Amino acid sequence: MSTDNLPFGLGVSLYSYTEDIGVTMTVQECIEDVADLGATGLEILGEGHIRDYPNPSTAWIDAWFARNERLGLTPTLYGSWLDTRRFPGRGMTVAEGVEQLELDLRLAGRLGFSFLRPKIGVITEDLQVDPIWAEAVERNLDLATELGIVICPEIHWPTVIKSPVVEEYLAFKERTGSAQFGLLIDTGVFDLQRYPRRGGSATFQMGTGGARPPEVPFVPVSDLAEVMAHTVYFQAKFYEIDDDLTDHYIPWREIIDVALEAGYTGWFSSEYEGHREPYRASDQLRRQHALIRQVVAERG
Amino acid sequence: MLEEPLIQAAGFRNVGPDDARTGFQLRVRSPYYRGMWANLLDRPTVIVDGEEFDGDDIRWTLPTGEYSFAELQASTDARWPMDEPAVLTVPKPGGLPRGIHDVTFVLRVRMSYIPEELQPSIWTATRKAVIVR
Repeated sequence: MSTDNLPFGLGVSLYSYTEDIGVTMTVQECIEDVADLGATGLEILGEGHIRDYPNPSTAWIDAWFARNERLGLTPTLYGSWLDTRRFPGRGMTVAEGVEQLELDLRLAGRLGFSFLRPKIGVITEDLQVDPIWAEAVERNLDLATELGIVICPEIHWPTVIKSPVVEEYLAFKERTGSAQFGLLIDTGVFDLQRYPRRGGSATFQMGTGGARPPEVPFVPVSDLAEVMAHTVYFQAKFYEIDDDLTDHYIPWREIIDVALEAGYTGWFSSEYEGHREPYRASDQLRRQHALIRQVVAERG
Repeated sequence: MLEEPLIQAAGFRNVGPDDARTGFQLRVRSPYYRGMWANLLDRPTVIVDGEEFDGDDIRWTLPTGEYSFAELQASTDARWPMDEPAVLTVPKPGGLPRGIHDVTFVLRVRMSYIPEELQPSIWTATRKAVIVR
């Protein structure tokens, strides 16, 4: 099998360029870089990368389509948020959740995306999601159908595959029977070891109390096989590929084997999340794509 | 393009008439990986040479408009994009003296997807910045 004839799509999330955007590269330059490294899928964060979100100009939208056509890029996934603690002193109502999701779905549809990932607020220390999510999504399923968009909440460490949250998502899918809903798997749940991330333009802390993030073990890739039937998208989270083209943190061969075994033909969308330093993403993304293409070639 | 440090060298200046300064301004880059609805911001803190300024009194200039902190909290459409700086206007009668200052900016953001026990998310940035006039 030729590495240029991959069994799945290979894309990049602009999240990868977080430390560069606005400092060393414009959003447009990042998109050019995605095409230059040979990817064909383009994932964005709606609130991050759309100029004048949520009301981009017609000129911005025209340029978006013209650039993607010139570069051979397909819009893949649009990341959105249900900021359930947005309003000081109170939670978000179902109506507000419906409205936020509808806004993002319509914008994602306008820009040609096929997937939307809502990042849902949590209500407990063990990451139970705010119950407004279900109605907010359900009331938007018809719109998602109309727009041809699949809504996929992400399974992102410390939420893992075998967890109450995933059970809740799968129960929702079974109850609604909707083809417009599925799971996004962030490959960070399969970490082999914790990555010592350095950098950042400021010191960062979460809260002022003594609370510690939950201690949740990373999970074996075998867990993935059980949810492949519901998996519609992979965020190919990674931190560092070394000078020997080896990833010591994410087991790509095992992940790709499970995906191929299940007949997965969707997207692997790279999400660089290594050291928080400019000028790293472009190089690391190329390394990861070389590695993934290498793994596929070995399997061919 | 912006400087990598959150506190930008450009935009740090006194405001008000030369002989009756009313305060100073600070231009800051967002450390967040996305743009945000500005009512996700909790009260910020600015410290200059050890003097702490109350976040309730700091005015924010964003691409969507200019707001008091209370207005920002009550807003439903104010936004802070990730690649556009915010200008903070801090009241201080007389302004800051010409010269080099130790400036600290503490940004607090509520991230709904992180347990409340671990919130807000707090970034603290410090640099030396120059008041030219």
